[in-house]
Amino acid sequence: MEQSSTSALLQGTVLDLASDVVSALRSGDHVRAGSTLTAGGAGEGVARAAVRVLGADALLPSVLLRVSPAPGQLAVFKDAVAAHPPRADAAPAVVWSHWAMARTLRRLEHPLTGPDAAEPAAEPGADWLDAAGWQTLTHQLAVLAPLALPGEECAVTRAARRRPVDVARGFVRAVRRRDWQQAAGAGRWLTLLDGVPDTLGLEAGLDFVRLMGGSDPRVVLQLEAARLMPAAVLL
Amino acid sequence: MPSNEVLEEVVRTENIDIDAALDPAEPDGVFRDSRECAALALQSGGTNLLLSPPTPRPKKG
Repeated sequence: MEQSSTSALLQGTVLDLASDVVSALRSGDHVRAGSTLTAGGAGEGVARAAVRVLGADALLPSVLLRVSPAPGQLAVFKDAVAAHPPRADAAPAVVWSHWAMARTLRRLEHPLTGPDAAEPAAEPGADWLDAAGWQTLTHQLAVLAPLALPGEECAVTRAARRRPVDVARGFVRAVRRRDWQQAAGAGRWLTLLDGVPDTLGLEAGLDFVRLMGGSDPRVVLQLEAARLMPAAVLL
Repeated sequence: MPSNEVLEEVVRTENIDIDAALDPAEPDGVFRDSRECAALALQSGGTNLLLSPPTPRPKKG
């Protein structure tokens, strides 16, 4: 019972945090993105876990809109990276999401100080994506949507770039399965990829996902990211 | 933070299964029929993503 109540608490906090990020992306106000995060409060551990679950997207407004994160926000983000490292036997998506957070931290702490400043120590492998069918590829890319950023260069983005048609097929499949979160994440990737078939109707598709799945802030977060992506320049 | 709140916090944090949330299994999907999708797309006001013809089915006999 403790487990389920904790899971529900975590899930609720992730949703609150995603709502904050959406508000910040829409308004350009980084402070709003941190309103769920309270340092030293009774829910600090849960907030930290929620940041880990939302991943690098917790600081997406700072990255996409090029505004400095609030100090408290940055502190909780750092705590989340330190407190929840991937286990030795963790799934690739877990390892990559942690890598993405570490990369975001480096970017924000060493902006534009040289190409090496943004490189985390070791990049995990992405062979599992190359071996995956288009359905699994799309699911995993949607889970790793925080890596879908303009100018991002890593093994996951390279794997996505090699298979735009597969991601497009996965997007349609996700829509037809009414998996709005996966559809929104895949749609975010597709805004960055070359070679996406025009017949996909991506813009209309994203509108449809917003119409159907727009009550979930995690879906809206991906859609807002996709909206901002073409104009954004990576920090 | 009072000590009982700290204790509660530690218990909560230790119970959190982060990995399950970070790499969720794909939920069971509910596939819609193409005609149903077309109706939804029309309702959405002009989107045409799912206005594909129904999937061909083998003829009987």
